[in-house]
Amino acid sequence: MSEEQASTEKPSIEKSSAGRIRILCIDDEARILRALRALFREHDVYVTSEPKLAIRWAKEKDIDVIVCDQRMPQMLGVDVLREIKMVHPRAMRILLTGYSDLSAVLASVNESEVFRFINKPWDNDELRKTVLQAAGIARDVPLLAMAPISEKEKDQARQAAGVLVIEDDPDTQNRLREILGGHYQVRFAATAERALQVLEQHETGVVISEAETGAGDWTQLIKLLKKYHPQIPTVVITERANAQVAIDLINEGQVYRMLLKPVRMGTCRLSVESAISHYWQLKNNPQALRRFAVAETKTSVLPSWLSASLLNRIKMIPQRLLGVGRAFTQ
Amino acid sequence: MEWLGFLLFACAAAVAAWLFLRLKRFEAGAVAASDELKKLQASQSQVMHTTKLASLGQMVAGVTHEINTPLGFLRSNAQVVTELIDEHKQVIDKICTALARFAALNPADPKLQAALPGALLKMRSALANDARLSESKELLTDALEGVDQISKLVKNLKGFARVDRDGEDLWNVNEGIDSALIIAHHQMRDRIEVIRHLAAVPLVRVVPSQINQVFLNLITNAAQAMEERGTLTVTSRRNGDMVEVEFTDTGSGIPADVLPKIFDPFFTTKPVGEGTGLGLSIVHKILTAYGGSIAVSSALGHGTSFVVSLPVDFAALKSHGLGQSMSEAGHE
Repeated sequence: MSEEQASTEKPSIEKSSAGRIRILCIDDEARILRALRALFREHDVYVTSEPKLAIRWAKEKDIDVIVCDQRMPQMLGVDVLREIKMVHPRAMRILLTGYSDLSAVLASVNESEVFRFINKPWDNDELRKTVLQAAGIARDVPLLAMAPISEKEKDQARQAAGVLVIEDDPDTQNRLREILGGHYQVRFAATAERALQVLEQHETGVVISEAETGAGDWTQLIKLLKKYHPQIPTVVITERANAQVAIDLINEGQVYRMLLKPVRMGTCRLSVESAISHYWQLKNNPQALRRFAVAETKTSVLPSWLSASLLNRIKMIPQRLLGVGRAFTQ
Repeated sequence: MEWLGFLLFACAAAVAAWLFLRLKRFEAGAVAASDELKKLQASQSQVMHTTKLASLGQMVAGVTHEINTPLGFLRSNAQVVTELIDEHKQVIDKICTALARFAALNPADPKLQAALPGALLKMRSALANDARLSESKELLTDALEGVDQISKLVKNLKGFARVDRDGEDLWNVNEGIDSALIIAHHQMRDRIEVIRHLAAVPLVRVVPSQINQVFLNLITNAAQAMEERGTLTVTSRRNGDMVEVEFTDTGSGIPADVLPKIFDPFFTTKPVGEGTGLGLSIVHKILTAYGGSIAVSSALGHGTSFVVSLPVDFAALKSHGLGQSMSEAGHE
């Protein structure tokens, strides 16, 4: 299909801040684009099936929210979103896809840093709500600097804040100690109870956690930590290829990076270094926290290990250790 | 010369004995070979079965994507058109009210009455009483329900073939029972009543698509054993260190002389060409590979009951809080 423009008149930001938001939709299926334009008919919707054009438009039209398909013949959605992130980082990125393979999910976290991962067929009310929330954030919430923090700041961050590893497999524990030990204050926890103790006693800049292990499901803990303490980035390590669990971790846990086992030294170091910089930036710019807001969790059943007192302790981690005030939690 | 004759005789006897032994060994070899062949056939069918499962996964993955995209715009469009109809209805209502007010305000003014031709008033009442919009909305509601039904089925198929996961997983057997029953629905329809007694059971560590296949197999057998009407009762429970799932049908039952053979490879009661006779032997093989088992009891003319057992995953039971949740989990 040829690219088309839903709205010829380009409103200025001030004029449109009253309500009309600018949405860019990218899909190789023309009928999906038509459906999205009808769904967001009260807003300025730009649609195209040309990824290259989309990347140009994102900046040119000063787009608020990008809604992008994953499987397209010319380019993968995660690649389109990664490029848009470089040229127009203000826009919030949403991936809308009919089938999710794990590599797409991992790339959407690690490279495109998507806000939400939504499956087709979608629910109109939910998609509307998500897009409007994203637009609000794109307009009101300042961006973190794209440039990495200075070496001096990195040293400061490493001295102030430690790395908490939630992992019950001794091999992986040893591997991580080997990779990170000399550079960070690394603390290990094999239970939720112990993880809470560490968080209560030490300023923590990065949480590295297993997703699901033989000992059970850690994802609920990851999601809750992010919900109440969004300034701590999470690096999830997993050996099991489960796309849906990973998608839920994006939407409900806004995980910062997702790595597959076996842990590779280079990727792991890079991820943790980037995560602690991210923490430091957020600590100094807490107003940017809303960019990492999580979606309400869909699983209503809480795991048996999560007692009311443990949940309370997650909420009440002492402020002095959190770097930022509780005003920024949700 | 005598000794020569004796020697010849001895030689002949030796050759005969040697031939005899050779033959015996050959026979034994032949038996061994046929055993070997059976084993090979069984493992070949196992491989075929696994390949079938893998290609089912691939097919479902492809189909899922192809179906979800049109489902996406179908669903969205049906919802949007419903909203548009509501908006349109509001416009019509406004026009009708305006026309009615206009007519009511000036009943005595012949000039104005003339300005509002009868045709227009007729149109107003036609508009106000038009059922086409509400009818369209009803039809759209049906369409939406249909779309939701399809997406549920696709989701279930995806869950059954486990396209987005592979390898062993911690898994609740009740999930598998539900998804196998949905997949087997067409074999039962209104003919067979399904009763579920599903207890909150601990998790097991398995490749879920395999156990799904086991359940589907047992459900299909049960449905075929009940020619007319019948009841299939599916029960899940914990029994010590095992999680048990019981499938009880009210079908024709299995004769006592057949019962011990039903788990043998290639044993079948179905006519030649129907069924491979692999079903229950593969079920048996899959379950024993996980340290589980399958037991059967049957009463001719009354029905058959299969009990599948899988070991509880104790590592998962211990869960995170360790010390604290150990005791809790034990009492679940």
